[in-house]
Amino acid sequence: MRTLDWVVLFLTLLSIVIYGIYKGKGTRTIRGFFLADKSMKWYTVALSIMATQASAITFTSTPGQAYVDGMRFVQFYFGLPIAMVILSITAVPIFHKLNVYTAYEYLEYRFDLKTRTLTSFLFLIQRGLAAGMTIYAPSIVLSVILGWDIRITSSVIGGAIIIYTTSGGVKAVNWTDFQQMLIIMFGMIMAFIMTIVLLPSGVSFTDALHVAGGMGKLNLIDFSFDLNNRYNFWSGIIGGMFVALAYFGCDQSQVQRYLTGQSITQSRLGLLFNGIAKVPMQFFILLLGAMVFVFYQYVQPPLFFNPVETRKIQEGAYAEAYEQLESKYAEVFEEKSKSLREYIDVKSSGDPVSIAQAQANFQTADNRANEIRGEAVHMIKAQSGSLATNDTNYIFLSFVIKYLPLGLVGLVFACIFAATMSSTSGELSALATCSVVDIYKRHIKTDGDEPHYLMISRLAMASWGIYGILFAQFASGLGSLVEAVNILGSLFYGTLLGIFLLGFYFKWIGGTATFLGAVISEAIVLTLFLLEYGFKSITVAWLWYPVVGCGVVIIAAMVLNTFLTGTNKQKSFAI
Amino acid sequence: MSEPLLKNIIDDAESDPPIFKTWKRLYAAVLFNLALLVVLFYFFGKAFQ
Repeated sequence: MRTLDWVVLFLTLLSIVIYGIYKGKGTRTIRGFFLADKSMKWYTVALSIMATQASAITFTSTPGQAYVDGMRFVQFYFGLPIAMVILSITAVPIFHKLNVYTAYEYLEYRFDLKTRTLTSFLFLIQRGLAAGMTIYAPSIVLSVILGWDIRITSSVIGGAIIIYTTSGGVKAVNWTDFQQMLIIMFGMIMAFIMTIVLLPSGVSFTDALHVAGGMGKLNLIDFSFDLNNRYNFWSGIIGGMFVALAYFGCDQSQVQRYLTGQSITQSRLGLLFNGIAKVPMQFFILLLGAMVFVFYQYVQPPLFFNPVETRKIQEGAYAEAYEQLESKYAEVFEEKSKSLREYIDVKSSGDPVSIAQAQANFQTADNRANEIRGEAVHMIKAQSGSLATNDTNYIFLSFVIKYLPLGLVGLVFACIFAATMSSTSGELSALATCSVVDIYKRHIKTDGDEPHYLMISRLAMASWGIYGILFAQFASGLGSLVEAVNILGSLFYGTLLGIFLLGFYFKWIGGTATFLGAVISEAIVLTLFLLEYGFKSITVAWLWYPVVGCGVVIIAAMVLNTFLTGTNKQKSFAI
Repeated sequence: MSEPLLKNIIDDAESDPPIFKTWKRLYAAVLFNLALLVVLFYFFGKAFQ
């Protein structure tokens, strides 16, 4: 990066911290610290929800995913608008009516203390692991691209977040989310425009779409029903809806965003705006990846996008073999580029025979290029292990740093930092809220005064932030566990969702039955996970885990409830 | 939570949204938007395949 890029990046980060401190000043109660005094308008709630969900990986990995796998990932978000409607009808009015600080507080009103504590505890494990990863994952990518030590990257991100979240609480989080989302939208739109501008002369946007479509990258909709297929219409609508219901309805990092809404109307509008805007936003980010793919059909891409691994292999035992592969790749790329130009030329002629011939020539060259890349990946695996072979996260950023103009590079990197900060700050505030409200204030010190709880809240926020930084700094030593941590986080959502659905819709189910149902469900989901990843004896796409977990909680609780005589407590808090 | 505040919140839940006049219509609009996007994506993919 050049000086202007550094200036843009530095000023953006500084403005976020200053804006956060400014917006959060005057916070003197825990209601202000954790609920922003319920003062937020729908647009702040909406952008805060979107910013919390969109982590840095959304903007680094998603374009790379479209580059490698096409745009089919967009189907994962089809269940989200349905979930937004369901939550607007159910969760929002109930949470507002009860004036709760956390979603789990509702469970004590509806069931009992043990169900609330178990759910809050599951959330703290799941979100605690995820929060570490939210800092770690972009830190490692940024460290590789910028050449920084990961300790610097994670400290810069984590330190900046701690400053404004500890001083201003959720008010600072929501307003900085709002600001960060605007920065991200602007940066990504500019990057998209520049990617189109950078296409070679004579290649229009329509041509680029034809190339992307012809290469299978515009595979947006797949109506076939296949449990093993991770992304199709049905897994998106059903599995995606369950994931979204669980994430937005039972995950405090999202519930807290709309609990800050001025009224039920403002919270609902915030959620519904997300339901309208999220799918087009993901489509747009994936399309950006598809356009980067088209760009690299005309301009030779690196054989492998991770610069650190490339450097390692160029200096290691495979240096000579890798150099030969690079030469071969350059030759094949020339052929490929030439046949692509021929295809674009004959496409306008409308002659089906010529078009088919040109397409076949291009396909042959592309297959050869992919084979060579496969050999390179195999070589990298032999040298650095299988963890080093995935370069999806580096595709977009390596394109940005090499081809985008002065200033815009800094802006895109500012977007990545902003996205990390927005999702992490939401997570930290949620973790601090649950630690203080559900655990400390409910179990450890029940008779503290307001200044005491506020001090503890700030301390909890800072502690979770420091934990996030330390996790990021030591995560590289965890090796393959890092990947597992990401998957582990998704194992709790079904159980959480099942508990809340029982609370909302099953008036006759009591607390003890729900508690035991949750324990059984978690045991079954963990067994499935072990069978799949430990013993490799089954294959179920992870999107179905929440469906299984949720179903088991409900069925188990219904069965157990017939044998148990526990109270149903406040049935009036069901719908 | 005081009774008047609770009453205000409940009353607010009954209030109409600023657009589409009723909540049911607004929910329908969100779902219609999803259906429209699925159809558009389908034809978009087909058009450039």
